[in-house]
Amino acid sequence: MINKHKKLLTLVLALLFFAGSSYAQDIYAPVYPHEPLKAKNLKDPVSALLEIPFRLVRWPIDQSLVYIGKRHIDKKAFHIYDKIKGYGVTPHIAFTDSAILPLVGLELDLMTMTRKKVEHPDVVANASVRYAMHNLFIVDSKVGVNRIAGTGLYTFGNFNFDHRSREPFYGIGPRTSLGDSSSIRMETVYLAWNAGYEFSPSLNVLGTFAFKENQIKHRAHDGKGDMTEIFAGQDIPGIHGGEELNWKMELVRDTRNTKDEASKGSYQKLSVKLTEGVDSTKARFLTYQLDAAKYFSLKSPRRVLAIRAFGEHNDEINHGTIPFYDMARLGGMGSSQRTSVAHRAFVYNRFYGESAILFSLEYRYAIWEYRDFRLNASVFWDEGQVFNEFNKFKFSDFRESYGLGFYLSYAKHTLLNFTVAHGDEGTRVYVKNRVPF
Amino acid sequence: MTNERLMKKGTVFLVGALLAIMLPGTLCAKSAKFKGKATHLYKDVFDQNVYYEGVNQLDFGRWGRKLFDREIPAANINIFDEVPDSAFFTNRHARKRLSAEELEKGYSETEGPDLSAPMTVTKGKQEGLHPGFFIRDARGDAYCLKFDAEGYLELATAAEVIASRFYYAIGYNVPQYTMFRFRPEDIVAGENAYTYDDTGFRKKMTPDLLDQYLSFLPITEEGEYLASASKIVPGRNAGYFSFYSRRKDDPEDTINHRDRREIRAISVFSMWLNNYDVREDNTLDMEVVENGRPVIKHYLIDFNSALGAAHGGPKPPMFGHEYMIDYGETAKAFLSLGLWEKPWQKKWRVVDERPYESPAVGYFSNEGFDPESHKVQLPYETFRVLTKADGFWAAKIMKSFTDEDVRAMVKAGRYSNAEDEDYIAKTLIERRDMIARYWFSQTTPLDQFELSGNVLRFRDLALHYGWGDPDAIDYTAEVFAGSKRRKPDEILTSQEPVFSLNPRYISPNRTVELRIRVSRRGDEDPSPYIKIILDEGGVRQIRHED
Repeated sequence: MINKHKKLLTLVLALLFFAGSSYAQDIYAPVYPHEPLKAKNLKDPVSALLEIPFRLVRWPIDQSLVYIGKRHIDKKAFHIYDKIKGYGVTPHIAFTDSAILPLVGLELDLMTMTRKKVEHPDVVANASVRYAMHNLFIVDSKVGVNRIAGTGLYTFGNFNFDHRSREPFYGIGPRTSLGDSSSIRMETVYLAWNAGYEFSPSLNVLGTFAFKENQIKHRAHDGKGDMTEIFAGQDIPGIHGGEELNWKMELVRDTRNTKDEASKGSYQKLSVKLTEGVDSTKARFLTYQLDAAKYFSLKSPRRVLAIRAFGEHNDEINHGTIPFYDMARLGGMGSSQRTSVAHRAFVYNRFYGESAILFSLEYRYAIWEYRDFRLNASVFWDEGQVFNEFNKFKFSDFRESYGLGFYLSYAKHTLLNFTVAHGDEGTRVYVKNRVPF
Repeated sequence: MTNERLMKKGTVFLVGALLAIMLPGTLCAKSAKFKGKATHLYKDVFDQNVYYEGVNQLDFGRWGRKLFDREIPAANINIFDEVPDSAFFTNRHARKRLSAEELEKGYSETEGPDLSAPMTVTKGKQEGLHPGFFIRDARGDAYCLKFDAEGYLELATAAEVIASRFYYAIGYNVPQYTMFRFRPEDIVAGENAYTYDDTGFRKKMTPDLLDQYLSFLPITEEGEYLASASKIVPGRNAGYFSFYSRRKDDPEDTINHRDRREIRAISVFSMWLNNYDVREDNTLDMEVVENGRPVIKHYLIDFNSALGAAHGGPKPPMFGHEYMIDYGETAKAFLSLGLWEKPWQKKWRVVDERPYESPAVGYFSNEGFDPESHKVQLPYETFRVLTKADGFWAAKIMKSFTDEDVRAMVKAGRYSNAEDEDYIAKTLIERRDMIARYWFSQTTPLDQFELSGNVLRFRDLALHYGWGDPDAIDYTAEVFAGSKRRKPDEILTSQEPVFSLNPRYISPNRTVELRIRVSRRGDEDPSPYIKIILDEGGVRQIRHED
């Protein structure tokens, strides 16, 4: 038997050598050490088995991507978007301030819709609708004229209806408790006339006269208490809403190279506002607000140090009151000027006070770039507090937020902002499509 | 009607129906034997940057190989450690030196579109302001015309034509590419021509629309349009070829593509040509009939992102340094808090973000080029499993092209400025040497083994190309003459590329195995071995350590 095997082996070797000899001159000849050529498994059986569920997910994704690419679905979508925009309708998708909820909307440019834009390029007539399920519904409109008589003078009127079904409230002052969680349904109607002058693209002054009506409905829902019950016995000004008139002056200087991904320049917004209650509303106060940020490029446009200072003080006049909904607010990502200012480790609207002060220090640096796409990482520190009177200001009332953010942008426009912030009330995660400042 | 008759009728009906279903399939089998597979950039990006980057982490074999420093040897190499000709690859310049004319000409069926009558546009291929056209010429041949971006005349067109010459001479199948000039009157819209423009919707290619597209194109000083014309490959389009697995519908495709040396080495050759956009969507499988039966021929296509070009203009600076989504580089940048400046960022900063002087050259420089860390657009596993032996094979082919050969192929770009041609050639020559030198340093760069009597001679390619001191080299051969080959019977050393073997090893019906290593003075470790099996008839097997 052994001899038989030896003979067979010799025969095979002889054949192999013969084959080798015949190809000796051709080093590219298809003579292989192990014939016939056979496909080896790409993976061991266990790894291959582990991959199966993922392959099931991959298949429809691959098919969809090929379909999108081959049928130009992406181009069609962009084209339809541009086309709609060309007709004066701009779809809007974002995230709400109070939760990671999609916010959808439409902005209508009425001048474009009526094909009067070319004829009257300086006339502005916009209307917009934004909606987030169980959260907010906003209607905005603006009618006005820019560059009056070829100057920087402009004027416009505003109408705004703002319905927020879950506006959180935790009390007034720096030492409120997250446990005193209440929420209100708030509807605001805002009517304003504005006039301003644009000295240059970076310097602008604006005056506003406005009427505002605030309607509040108290109720307990979704684990949050009724404000009138939780804060029973406390004097919460404006707890039943009210009507008011505002006179406001605002000076804005903005020298940033881009708004979303500034690597140099700064902005300063300084405003003074007088509010006076109408009818039985006792509101009467002055609001001073300063919001300033400066961006330093650290030897590279890919490393930016951003510093922000925000201060607001509301000062009662003639024994008037400051309704809680007009107070300075801190908490959340603060992507909307109308609402709570960014103090990222705290929930949206976490702190209400007659005054607020906030400092933010943020180091932003590029970690990935591909053509016009860019991913910035950020390390930030927010230090802020609310307080009522200046003599009650205490350094010990400052609260900290610190954390990490990732900002994905395309052509310097933020597409996605994913941020994790930590503070003494825990950790908060945000998904937005704006940067905080 | 009885049950039996009913049964019979039913059976006849069933057989008839089956035949009706199967017969057309059988008749069509000859022309549609291979399934048409489809891919797209989006799929390529998702698969490679997301799916495999994740799923590969569940591959125990992969972890095992990393842990124990094991490699996957190429499976399609012959007894001489070479890649035999196949539907993927044909040894061309390495087997028989191509003349300067042949190198410059590349794969050629015609001289380019025939302009004896106006070309007819059959289909448009619009991307932004960069139109392309499928045309049919006076001879009836079909071509795809692609153009440069405004302000970058010759950049993408020349890059495509030059790269095609290199890939072809190396051994890959490529379509015919020609630098092609024509005047506005040489092109007309076909009656049924259509295009998908930026809207994504199909539009009829009217003469007005054609004029509009042409108006976006850069023109030469002579008022001509300049295009790279690729001749449409004959046969039936069967989709793309995977860089990972074999085509299961092709009986001749027996080896998984991950394990094919020539596919792994695409990364090395693409590194040379700065062809960042090498991916599955830029491959093509064509079903052709050879010797009366349908077979698949595998092509590489679309090289207009080679050299200094990229879609829409010069290559962005991160290309070649990072994958499209590079988790490793991103993590490094994140953890270093942005204080670590990536090599491409430094290079970009030093030249004040204006690295190119000529728009026809774009961004193609060897400054900061590192053959070890160079990357193409997507992290194909096939390119990652490239072994030292595979790299050496590719480097050896690259070095088979002399400086004059490189210049001959660059000449095909027909640059209007001789300085541009010279710059491209010099950069390619320099890069060829950088890559070859790197791979030679990773292996035992010995070749051309010849047994004469009991004397084994070979060529040290590193020395041959002038990289190293001949007086500072030791060659060591472990000789295994026994059948078990566990312990060497003898260790030979030599300072010359020659070993004199004991004549008793070279005797009838006996083989001897040599494991040769090179020690260059200054090297800490000896090189990997190269295994040679000899018998009385000469060299029987060569194998570089992976």
